[in-house]
Amino acid sequence: MSQAEFHYIGQHMPRKEDYRLLTGRGRYVDDVEVPGALHVCFVRSPHAHARIRGIDATAARGMPGVVAVFTGADLARWTTRLRMAPPIEGLQPMEMDALPIDKVRFQGDPVACVVAGDRYLAEDAAEQVQVDYEPLPVVSSMWQALQADAPRVDETLPSNLLSHQQAVFGDPQARAQAAHRVVQSTFSMHRQTHLPIETRGCAAIWDAGREHLTFHVGNQVPHPYRTTLAGRLRLSESQVTVVSQDVGGGFGQKIALYREELVVAALARELKQPVRWREDRLENLLASSQAREDFCRTRAAVDAEGRLLSLELEIVEDFGAYSFYPGNYLARVVAMILTGPYKVQDYSYDVKVVLSNKVGNGPMRAPMAITSWLMDGTLDAVARELQLDPLAVRRLNMLHPQDLPYRMATGEVLEDITPRETLEGAVAAIDYADFRRRQQEALTQGRYLGLGICTVVESTTYGSRFYKAAGIPGSGHEAAWVRIEPTGVVNASAGLGPTGQGYETSLSHAVAEGLGVPMSQVRIHLGHTDIAPYGMGSRGARGGTAGGGTLYLCAGEAQAKVLAIARHHLGLDSPAVLRLREARVERQSEGVWLPTGLSLVDIARKAYLDPTSLPEGMSPGLDFHKTYDPPPMTYSNSTHVCEVEVDAATGAVRFGRYVVAEDCGTVLSPVVVEGQQLGAIAMGLSGTLYEHVEYDDNGQNLSGTLADYLVATAHELPHIEILSMHTPNRSTPAGIKGMAEGGVMGAIGALCNAVNDALRPLGVVADRQPLTPMYLRGLIRQAQHS
Amino acid sequence: MKNMEPQDITLTVNGRNHEIKVVPRRLLVDALREDLRLTGTHVGCEHGVCGACTVLVDGRPQRACLTYAIQMEGHEVATIESVDHEGRLSVLQQALHEEHGLQCWFCTPGIVMTFEAFLRQNPAPDEEAIREALSGNLCRCTGYQNIVKAIQKAAARMRPEQI
Repeated sequence: MSQAEFHYIGQHMPRKEDYRLLTGRGRYVDDVEVPGALHVCFVRSPHAHARIRGIDATAARGMPGVVAVFTGADLARWTTRLRMAPPIEGLQPMEMDALPIDKVRFQGDPVACVVAGDRYLAEDAAEQVQVDYEPLPVVSSMWQALQADAPRVDETLPSNLLSHQQAVFGDPQARAQAAHRVVQSTFSMHRQTHLPIETRGCAAIWDAGREHLTFHVGNQVPHPYRTTLAGRLRLSESQVTVVSQDVGGGFGQKIALYREELVVAALARELKQPVRWREDRLENLLASSQAREDFCRTRAAVDAEGRLLSLELEIVEDFGAYSFYPGNYLARVVAMILTGPYKVQDYSYDVKVVLSNKVGNGPMRAPMAITSWLMDGTLDAVARELQLDPLAVRRLNMLHPQDLPYRMATGEVLEDITPRETLEGAVAAIDYADFRRRQQEALTQGRYLGLGICTVVESTTYGSRFYKAAGIPGSGHEAAWVRIEPTGVVNASAGLGPTGQGYETSLSHAVAEGLGVPMSQVRIHLGHTDIAPYGMGSRGARGGTAGGGTLYLCAGEAQAKVLAIARHHLGLDSPAVLRLREARVERQSEGVWLPTGLSLVDIARKAYLDPTSLPEGMSPGLDFHKTYDPPPMTYSNSTHVCEVEVDAATGAVRFGRYVVAEDCGTVLSPVVVEGQQLGAIAMGLSGTLYEHVEYDDNGQNLSGTLADYLVATAHELPHIEILSMHTPNRSTPAGIKGMAEGGVMGAIGALCNAVNDALRPLGVVADRQPLTPMYLRGLIRQAQHS
Repeated sequence: MKNMEPQDITLTVNGRNHEIKVVPRRLLVDALREDLRLTGTHVGCEHGVCGACTVLVDGRPQRACLTYAIQMEGHEVATIESVDHEGRLSVLQQALHEEHGLQCWFCTPGIVMTFEAFLRQNPAPDEEAIREALSGNLCRCTGYQNIVKAIQKAAARMRPEQI
C-alpha cells in the first residue's frame, strides 16, 4: 500500500501532547507529589579503582534530618545480585551487587546511601560519610585492559576481555592476496553520553498493607524494567507497578535498572516510607550510562577500479566497569550490518569488548553509530589510495535494485531499501559537480572545502528471530490493546516507553488508520505497567513498526468486529464491502462509498448495552488485544551529504549545506519523523565535533560538568535540508520501517568524510573523533611541516 | 548556625504573593517547584549551563538554579505557568506547537521564557540573532531547527501590521 492510499497515516498533524507540555502541566518524575517522601543522596567513590576497607557513617547519622545511612552490605540483604550471563560463545558472565561491597570500579561508583528529610540535608550528610579506601591500579584504556599483566576490573574473571567473537564468511584473506590493493584504515570513536536534559530520578511508594510497590521512574522499557526490579527485590511482578509518565529524553540512557533506583525501591520497603531521588547533572555525567569508545580497523581488498573484493573488520570496544547489558550487545551489531548498502560477500570480523575503570556502557542512539562512517570512510580511503572520485567508488560498489533482496555476507537480508535512490537524490540536490568546481576554486585561494557522503542502512526493528540468530537474549515482539468505549471514543495502549518522541501523535495515526476514526477520537495511554500491555518498550527504532504496527493490526481487528455488527444490523448477509471512515460506517456501491447512517457510536452502544442484538455467538463489548512479532529485521536507508570548510589556521570546522535523503517507508506522522531526523543528525554532529567523556590515566573523569562536556548549541549546528522518500516495507503492517537512529549514523560519517575531503590536498587523514580544532590543527601542522 | 535558620519571605510569582519559609541557601527553582508546586520550571543541570530553569525576574531571563529564593524579595518572578491565558497558548507557544519546536519538552520552559522576553526586545530578529540567543538553552531532541522556525514565525505574528 503506498502512502497515498492511507487516510490518516502520513497526514501532517501537529502533536497531540503539546498543550500540556507547553503550558507547564507535564508530569515528569520529579513533578510527582509524594507526601512524606524521604530524599536520598549517594556517597560516590572519588577513586577509579579501590578496595573499600570500611565505611564510618557515625557522624552522618547524627546530623539534622538524617534518617539512616545504608551501605552495600545492608542492601545485599534486601536485594538479589544482577547476573548477566546469557549463553553466548565468547562472553564472560558478570555479576553486580545493589551497591559495591568490596571495591569500587569507577570514579562515581555509589558506595553508600544517605536518607534524610530533604535533599539539602541528605547532601550535607553524604559529605560526612567516611569511606576508607585502598586505591588499586587503574585500567584507563582499552589497550591497557588487554595487556596480560593489567589489573583486573572484575576479579572473578580471568582477564578484562569481557567478550570476543569472530566470524569469517567466504575467504577474505585469499581475496586480499589476489587483490590489486589492500587498503587499511582505522577509526576511533570517543566515549560519549546520552545527556537527556531531564536527568534520572525515581520515587518509590511501598504499600505495606497490600505489599505493593509503586515506582515512578522515567524509563523506556517499563515492563522489562518491572520484571528486573521485582526480581531483584524478591517480589512478584504482580507486586510492582512501574509508572513512567512524561520523560525528558532517554536516548538509551533510561533502559536498564540502575543501582540507585534499586536502592531507592528497597529502602522504601525497608523504611515503610516513600523514598525519592533526583540525580543531579554532575552525577549524570559521572555515573549514568555512557556509550561508544571503539577502535576499529578495516582492510578492504579492491581491484584497480575500486571494486570491493573483500572486507575485514576488527573492533575493540571499551565497555567500562559493569555489565548492565551483555558485552556483545552493541559492537556485534556493527559487525553484522557493516557492509550495508554495498556488495561484498567475502567478509570477516573480530570483535573484542574489554572492561575498564569507567562507567558501564549502554546503548546510545545509535548503538551501531560508527557503522556507516566505518563503511563509507573505508570507501573514501580506497578512493584516496587509488586516486578515484569518492562518489564513483560508491556507485561502483552499491547494490542495484535488481540485487534485492540481498543476503549480506553475515546472513542478514536487505529488502525494500533504496540506497541508490537516496545517494543520487542527495548528490543531485547538493549539485556534486558544482561543489567540486567551487572546491577547486577555493583551494587556489588557500581555503579547504570538503564534501562528505555517507549512505546509511539503518537496522530499525529487531524481531525475535534476529535476537535468536545474533545470540542476544530477548524478544522483539510488541503488544497493544484498543478499546472502543460505549460512547464511541477510543482508548489504546502499547508497551512502548515514551521519552518525548511524540508517540501520542504517531500512534494515534496508526490507530485512526486501522480503525477508521479521526485521530482526535483516539487517546493513547503509555508508560504505566498496570494499564499498558507487556511489551518490550522503546529501544532502537522499534516504536514505529513494533508499536505502531501492533496497534494498526489491533485497530484493524476492532474495525472488523465493528463492521460485522454493522453488517448484521443492516441485514446484509452477503460480504458487502463496508468500511469505517471518520467513525461512520460506509458501504461501497458501484465503486462509490456511501453513508449507511450508522456510526461508531451506534455500534458501540449495541456492543456494550444491547448485546442480545449482536450476531449470534458474538461476545459483547469492543475490547481488543494483539501481540505481534516483526520480521527478523527491518531497514531504513538514507544518504547524508555535508559540506564543510576547515580553517587551516585554527582547525575550526564550519558547515556549509547539509542534505539528507531518507527513505524510511510508510511514515505514521511526518511531523514526528522530521523531528527525529533533525534531532538525530544534531546528535551525530554534536558528538563528532564536541562531546567527549574524557578520563585521565588515573581514571578521573575530566568531563563532569556541562562546561567540560560540550554539546552543540543552536549556534553551531547547520540548517538541515531533508528529501523524504517512502518505499514501504512489504513485510510489515502498513509498510512501516521505523527510523530515528540513522541520522546519528549518517551525520557522523558525512561530517568526518567531509573533513577528510577538505584535508585531502594536505595528505592527512583524521581517523579519530572528536574533530576538535586542536586535533585538526595538529594534523594540518604536521602536513605543513612534512 | 544562624544563617541556616529558615526565614519568612514573600515571593511574588506570576502576580501573586506567596509567604513561605526558606533557609537562605534554598534555590529559587526548588522554592518554585516544591514550595509553590509550580513544576513547569525544570531543573536540568543546577550549574547554569542548560537553561531549562530560566524564569523571568522583573521581565528579564534568569537562571532559577543560580538564584536563591531569598534574593527574590521585592522582585517579580514569572514562570511558564503564566504564559498561556485561560487555556490559550501565547503566540510563541502556538508557533512552537505548529512548527514542532518541542519534543520531550524538558528544555522548552526555559526557551519559552527566554524568548517571550527576547521577542519583546527584538521584534524583527534574523536567524543568526535567534540562534545566538538560543545558544543559552540546550535541547537534546530537536536539533534546534524547528525552534528557530517557530521563533521566526512568532516574531512575524507579533509585529504590528506594516502599513
